Amino acid sequence: MSDYVKTTEEPNSESRITNSESMDNSNEQKPRLDLDAVRAKLAGKKGAHYWRSLEQVAETPEFEAWLADEFPNRRSIADIDRRSLLKVMGASLALAGLSGCRGYFMPEEKIVPYVNQPEEMVIGKPLYYATAFTHAGYAYGALVKQNEGRPTKIEGNPDHPANRGAANVQMQASILSLYDPDRAQSVLSNGELSTWEDFLKVVRKDLADQKKTGGAGFRLLTGTVTSPTLQAQIQELMRDFPRMTWHVYEPFGQDNSHAGMQMAYGQPLAPIYDFSKVKVVVSLDSDFLLQQPGSLRYAADFIEARRVKNGDVAMNRLYTIETTTSITGAMSDHRWGVKPSDLLRVAAALHGAVTGAAPEKGSVPVDAIARDLVANRGAAVVVPGEFAPPEVHAACAAINASIGAPVSLVRRFDIPLGQTTGNVAPPTGPQGLKELVDALNAKQVQVLMIAGGNPVYDAPADYNFRAAMANAPRRIRYGYYVDETSKECDWHLPATHFLEEWSDTRAFDGTVSIVQPLTMPLFEGRSIHEVLDAIAGRPQPGLARVQSTWRGASGADFDKRWREWLHQGVIPNTAATPVTAGSTSTFTPAAPATNGGGLEVNFRPDPHLHDGRYSNNGWLMEYPRPIIQVTWDNVALMSPKTAQDLNVRSEDKVELQLRGATVQAPAWISPGQPDGVVTLYAGYGRQNAGSVAEGAGFNVYPMRTSGAMYYDSGLQVKSVGGVWPVACTQIHHQMEGRDIVRIGTMDEFRRDKSLYRAEEKLDHEEIREQNMYPDEIFNANDIPQWGMTIDMHACIGCNACGVACVAENNIPVVGKEQVKRGREMHWLRIDRYYTVNDAASEKAVREDNIGLQDPIANPMTVFQPMMCVHCEKAPCEPVCPVAATVHSHEGLNQMIYNRCVGTRYCSNNCPYKVRRFNYLNYSDNQPQFANLDFSTGLAWAPAPIHSPKEHGIELLRMLSNPDVTVRGRGVMEKCTYCTQRISQTRIEAKKQGRNIADGEIITACQQACPTNAIVFGNIADPNSKVSQMKRDPRNYMLLEEEQTRPRTSYLGRITNPNKEISG
Amino acid sequence: MALHDPFTEPLIEGDKHYGTIDEQIGGVIQNQKRYHLKHPWYLFLGIGFALLNVLLLTIAWLLYQGIGIWGNNVPTAWAFDIINFVWWIGIGHAGTLISAILLLMRQQWRNSINRFAEAMTIFAVMCAGLFPLLHTGRPWVAYWLFPYPNIMGMWPQFRSPLMWDVFAVSTYFTVSLLFWFMGLIPDFATLRDRAKTNLGKKVWGLLGMGWRGSARHWHRYEQAYLLLAGLSTPLVLSVHTIVSYDFAVSIVPGWNVTVFPPYFVAGAVFAGFAMVLLFAIPVRAQYGWKDLITMKHIDWMAKIMLATGLIVFYGYILEAFYSFYAGSKAELALLQWRINGPYAWAYWSLILCNGIIPQLLWSPKNRRRLPLVWIIALVISYGMWLERFVIIPMSLMRNYLPSSDRHYYPTLWDFSMFFGTIGLFLFLMMLFIRFMPVINMFEMKDLLYKLQGTKASAPPAEPALAPAGGE
Repeated sequence: MSDYVKTTEEPNSESRITNSESMDNSNEQKPRLDLDAVRAKLAGKKGAHYWRSLEQVAETPEFEAWLADEFPNRRSIADIDRRSLLKVMGASLALAGLSGCRGYFMPEEKIVPYVNQPEEMVIGKPLYYATAFTHAGYAYGALVKQNEGRPTKIEGNPDHPANRGAANVQMQASILSLYDPDRAQSVLSNGELSTWEDFLKVVRKDLADQKKTGGAGFRLLTGTVTSPTLQAQIQELMRDFPRMTWHVYEPFGQDNSHAGMQMAYGQPLAPIYDFSKVKVVVSLDSDFLLQQPGSLRYAADFIEARRVKNGDVAMNRLYTIETTTSITGAMSDHRWGVKPSDLLRVAAALHGAVTGAAPEKGSVPVDAIARDLVANRGAAVVVPGEFAPPEVHAACAAINASIGAPVSLVRRFDIPLGQTTGNVAPPTGPQGLKELVDALNAKQVQVLMIAGGNPVYDAPADYNFRAAMANAPRRIRYGYYVDETSKECDWHLPATHFLEEWSDTRAFDGTVSIVQPLTMPLFEGRSIHEVLDAIAGRPQPGLARVQSTWRGASGADFDKRWREWLHQGVIPNTAATPVTAGSTSTFTPAAPATNGGGLEVNFRPDPHLHDGRYSNNGWLMEYPRPIIQVTWDNVALMSPKTAQDLNVRSEDKVELQLRGATVQAPAWISPGQPDGVVTLYAGYGRQNAGSVAEGAGFNVYPMRTSGAMYYDSGLQVKSVGGVWPVACTQIHHQMEGRDIVRIGTMDEFRRDKSLYRAEEKLDHEEIREQNMYPDEIFNANDIPQWGMTIDMHACIGCNACGVACVAENNIPVVGKEQVKRGREMHWLRIDRYYTVNDAASEKAVREDNIGLQDPIANPMTVFQPMMCVHCEKAPCEPVCPVAATVHSHEGLNQMIYNRCVGTRYCSNNCPYKVRRFNYLNYSDNQPQFANLDFSTGLAWAPAPIHSPKEHGIELLRMLSNPDVTVRGRGVMEKCTYCTQRISQTRIEAKKQGRNIADGEIITACQQACPTNAIVFGNIADPNSKVSQMKRDPRNYMLLEEEQTRPRTSYLGRITNPNKEISG
Repeated sequence: MALHDPFTEPLIEGDKHYGTIDEQIGGVIQNQKRYHLKHPWYLFLGIGFALLNVLLLTIAWLLYQGIGIWGNNVPTAWAFDIINFVWWIGIGHAGTLISAILLLMRQQWRNSINRFAEAMTIFAVMCAGLFPLLHTGRPWVAYWLFPYPNIMGMWPQFRSPLMWDVFAVSTYFTVSLLFWFMGLIPDFATLRDRAKTNLGKKVWGLLGMGWRGSARHWHRYEQAYLLLAGLSTPLVLSVHTIVSYDFAVSIVPGWNVTVFPPYFVAGAVFAGFAMVLLFAIPVRAQYGWKDLITMKHIDWMAKIMLATGLIVFYGYILEAFYSFYAGSKAELALLQWRINGPYAWAYWSLILCNGIIPQLLWSPKNRRRLPLVWIIALVISYGMWLERFVIIPMSLMRNYLPSSDRHYYPTLWDFSMFFGTIGLFLFLMMLFIRFMPVINMFEMKDLLYKLQGTKASAPPAEPALAPAGGE
């Protein structure tokens, strides 16, 4: 009995006896343990002190009494006689044996009912709340699904102007970060556990010292801040400390755009494009479909303006001149790859051509583009690249002004309103950070608070931020992970996830959303608002702080307005008002950049991980990056010709040398990449960043210097021998002349609206004639028949649907080794093919089937989202020996996990290869997250299934969608058309005694799609949207010749080339 | 060696009578000291036992981890597991062919190799059966493939070729085992009669099932044996035909080929005879059975290999032809991938092993060069494994949608599972050689009677207990 007590007790037998006696006599008044008192006693103690205090508490008689209360049965075990004990043991062993049969895979769980049912909550029915997700300072409206108090999925808010119901990958995957076992959980002081109280004591003392000098030694470093509340708080802080400085550093922010606008207009302005009005778009290295704060909206508007309507198309035209591959380039009607050093020259030439000067001759036919722009005056726009030099932004502003482009200019709202001078406007970009570093090196900084960002990892290499930082005596870090920067700080404060905090934020157009929490903080995190208020000595809850910002704006009846805003997810009429700036159609080109020899290099944020802030997010890490289809690594992207010149192939380990830094990286051949240019995605090569991020890829920041943040030249690449295995999900890149993605120009479309190629048309007609099966296989009988169309004319390849599917359907992350083996579990994949428009090149491509090694300088890139197409005559069904995959009356090809034995025959017989198999126990088995070292050869076996991170799995389980089975090892799975959503809607409709309305069921992929490329509905209803889409002449069934009769059909893509250029 | 006329050559050489045959075959079992202790039997048993342990280890790890320890992926969901299954099933076919079809055709030369080949069949099917069971994702519910009454009210899905496999293989195993055991009964009785130890008498007596050799016994035996032979005969064709349906019924490019059933059956006989030779040649040398398994046997088996090999080669040519004939782009791409892709070495080795090298057997001289025949048999066994590699994973690696093409590469566990089953096979064969009559004694005596008439029953001038001797 007393074994447990012994360990915490002093060897004082006398006291022990008294305690035992007091316990034995249960009627006696026991000393009660006041847990609050214990906590108070422990509060403020840290590290060794903390534990010592715990021991001291444990010695008290109260504690022992409490222990006896907590474990009352311990006594009876001691009293039990030998016979009974053996009996009990025998029974437990037998039971343990029984449970051992399935125990590991099916853990026992306990259900605790509510004592008081919370209002509005019906167990099993999710609730949705509007909030907003902020990415690099700019907001996207979110509707968050909450099941029994756990947020489980993030969807777009249809009322929000930035995304109108769509969602990008980061937004959707951010829910995984909420449950990330690696996130910072407690206040740390020099790496040891501490408390907020302790921190506040220390920091208030520091700030009291600072107060004497007006805060001259107090520096605040943040990322882009658009939150009105946070801006107001910082301003308040600056009133308290008039000499403090606020620095803003965003590794991949809007700095160049801001500088360019400043150059063009002399004012801090930001452009907002209206693509719905645009007929001609020229992108000068811009990835406006993916990388801008307004991209979700831009993509929707851009695609809407080129959609095929009523059988004809009056579409816009996109020219892209870019320095690397992007999905915007892939969508364009004309694309040219240029070197970064040429970009300004092209911009100047285009400006010249538009304003009438004789253009210089170059690889890009700027005169033809200029003519097209001028001809569409008022409906044409030139979009400068997010990371293009400020001069390009200025040039584009000048062009846009002269052609009357539908661009509205708004005052930058990342600068607090009404403050443009003095220390209040944060110095931004590398310059802002530079001032901080200089101050640090001059030992002028006593208190450095880093709230957001990870400068030790991502600051320009020449600043040597890590060393500079050590000069500040007090270094405070507020962050979501204990990362590289936290390790250098003496205090780490755990940040809240946006689903755990009250805040407000602004979208690309300035619209304000209130961020409301969906859950209490899972750990000790506090919101930045609470932290700033607390250190300023006026602590208040985050809700009160955010409300106080808006109380004035609402007018009367604040509480009602507030509830409306929360419900809507946006505060109406808060979009920034366009300003009229002086026309600046003149533009004096600066001296063109010179190439300093060597290869040119492009530093880009990773399309998923951005600057590295999401690198511990397994969904983002594992979903293949657009176009390159690489997972778990960044790579040195180079054109086939450059690779040939360097004598390297994909996956060859190369050494990159730039500005004194040497980094090893895998080479990767990417058709479409301009020759002589290497593109590097940032966000990898993390240290202390969690089990997903660590070991993935290489760190590009050591090569990135303040003078060349986005482009640089002089890169030396040399092969160092050996292979860096890269987990890429697509190894074959051409359609081999097969009828997979139908593409045609406008003229071809007008000639034959089916976009058939003659060859296939004949084949398919023959097959149709010979077909013995009736055309309409399903018999509707008033039962809805589900079907889907995917319009490849609208698909921009942004991956939003894929990550939505992962989030909705509990799809596990399997790790690099498993992806490399070809076992990624994504139900929805985005196939990407390189093709060409003209017949001659097509023949050349078709004859060479080796894949990436082809010297394709500038291919056309097409995307095709692929998931189970739910064949009428599904080849998977007849081959399953146990009938685990069968057809439903509604035409779904269903997968019955419980029945699946795992012969995998269905996958073999699936011509679309959309089935995924649980080769290992992926859903429970987290070691796959570990990025195994392939350099010593193949990893022969996966890591053992027991891992020290099992507690993390429990946390991750909270994320699971309760309506979707979590699949165990050995079963097949695939897209279900979100059958859980169909069922929910069907139940609701039945309850109300009506049919399911068209558009009532929205699949997860459809919901996330920014361009509405995916349409789902009842194909038995001729008036449904999906039936209308299926009547579009471009509609075709993939692999029609196999007679599988898929329910998902595709619509061909149309391009709109300029005849003057394409001839 | 001079030219031989296989029709005039005797099927039993040397001076034989019933007693010497009993002694030669039965002595191997009953005189353990003489035949085993000084022989490399222990070495091979040891190898087999070691590999068997590798197999058990692999299976344990497999059950613990899941089949992810293998290299299979999507699209290559079947790889070593099904290759090995088909390979082992094929090997078993020679036994059934020899015992059943040759019996019905009254081919007396089968008598000296049928027992041996039947044992091989059973052990090979045991090895083969492991794979479909263990390759399932959840082997603990693999019994759902059997039609049994259950509370789920679920039948298996009878349209699936895997379902047909279950019936084909289980029937095959059952019939083969019965056939084998029945043929053994008279020999067990002989051993019982010859046994000198008490234990031997009891064990052989039990296995002999009261066989007294009465005319009625023989009558019933002959009838039952013939009936079982009749039952097994269609199995020779059906089992591998059904195995080939796993592929031919699907729509996978490279699998959906109508030539598969005959080509698989021929391949199975081809591989089976190769395996029989692979074992028979060393065993006959080791145990002095050169008089019983004569050069004539070897010559004829080599001829069957040559004939079936030609059918298989024809199948390869047809496969390529069909790719062009069908005109499907996916099929054409697959052909190109086979002959020109990263695994082209496997395809060309296959052509070399199964198409080119067996042509050496056209020469009668080569058919009697034992080392050469043995090496050819080995090459064919390897080639037949490669054939399944080319058909199964290599077809799956290429798809209708080029985007889903992925490479497959095996892991160490794939190999340990494969070599582990070779170990199981070797281990069982070694036990069989030591503890059971490897050659059918009574059929040999029957043959001897047919060859020599009553002379065979006369005792020889001096006991011919000759062990290994020159030819």
